[in-house]
Amino acid sequence: MKRRTILVGGAVAGLSALAAGVAVFHSTSTAQRDGAALLDVVLPDPEGHDQALAQWRGKVLVVNFWATWCAPCRQEMPQFVAAQAALGSKGIQFVGIAVDQVAKVTEFSEQIGLNYPVLIGGFGAIELSRALGNSLSALPFTVIVDRHGRVAQRHLGPLVQPELDRVLHGLLKRA
Amino acid sequence: MRSIAAAALIGMLAAWPAIPAVAQLSAGQPALLPPDQAFRLSARALDPSTVEVRFDIADGYYLYRDRLAFRVAPVPAGRVNLPPGKVKHDAFFGDVQTYRNAVVLRVPLTRAGRAGEKLTVNADSQGCADVGVCYPPNPQQVEIVVPAAGARAGDYVQAAKPRGWFN
Repeated sequence: MKRRTILVGGAVAGLSALAAGVAVFHSTSTAQRDGAALLDVVLPDPEGHDQALAQWRGKVLVVNFWATWCAPCRQEMPQFVAAQAALGSKGIQFVGIAVDQVAKVTEFSEQIGLNYPVLIGGFGAIELSRALGNSLSALPFTVIVDRHGRVAQRHLGPLVQPELDRVLHGLLKRA
Repeated sequence: MRSIAAAALIGMLAAWPAIPAVAQLSAGQPALLPPDQAFRLSARALDPSTVEVRFDIADGYYLYRDRLAFRVAPVPAGRVNLPPGKVKHDAFFGDVQTYRNAVVLRVPLTRAGRAGEKLTVNADSQGCADVGVCYPPNPQQVEIVVPAAGARAGDYVQAAKPRGWFN
């Protein structure tokens, strides 16, 4: 009886260690796979023209899932505008994916002088964000893809300075 | 033996953060609740022609008043008078009203249900967490039974199987 309990305990510990190992191993291949999946996405811009994320391959791509009905999303976006202006020439490209309607997206984009592309994902974009690790389907959700097409960061909630700058500069330094 | 169990537990805890891809904002912050737990829906029939709906809202979360919508079947719902919420100024939408802690509202039915009849109450809601995330509109559903005329109100029924966006 006692022996069996110990065996079970050991098995659980072993499984846990295995799970941890698998998670670490998994994350490397997941970064590649999810980056590739994201770069395969094609969504319409507010004018209705399809835009492939692959056109920004080779850049440090910051994909931000947002909506006008999400106040924290709107609050963080002016920082993205500033970062795009400061780092765009160095190889950073922000792209917004709006879980929203075109009219609202256009109105807000004009209001804050958005200087990077926004694609219209509608509620279907929530599913895409879930596939990228946003298990709660909450917004804002940001995925940063490095120059080699690997997911380098996944972040739920507002990205704040100086964290954002630190991450972006770190990725720009990497070959 | 106890220490082995403890080691197993620590092993599980160590593995835990790596399993859900993104379940919290960052280390040190509390994990976010799924919307069905942040905004718990329950309902009861007050009488054959009135349904009472309740949202229990977790601390640190709020619902938008204007984003609430209710449908009842097979007896259609009438117009719902929503209680006033707390006014919050929003830079894009202007003044918006929010609910915290709990909100209880009455949904009148367009006719009386038959005693024992099952009613399906569908509630759509949309809310956010103070830590800085918002959830998409969340449909939830609860089934209640119409009480006999003159009988006491039915018991509250919790939305049993949470129905999230893609599950």
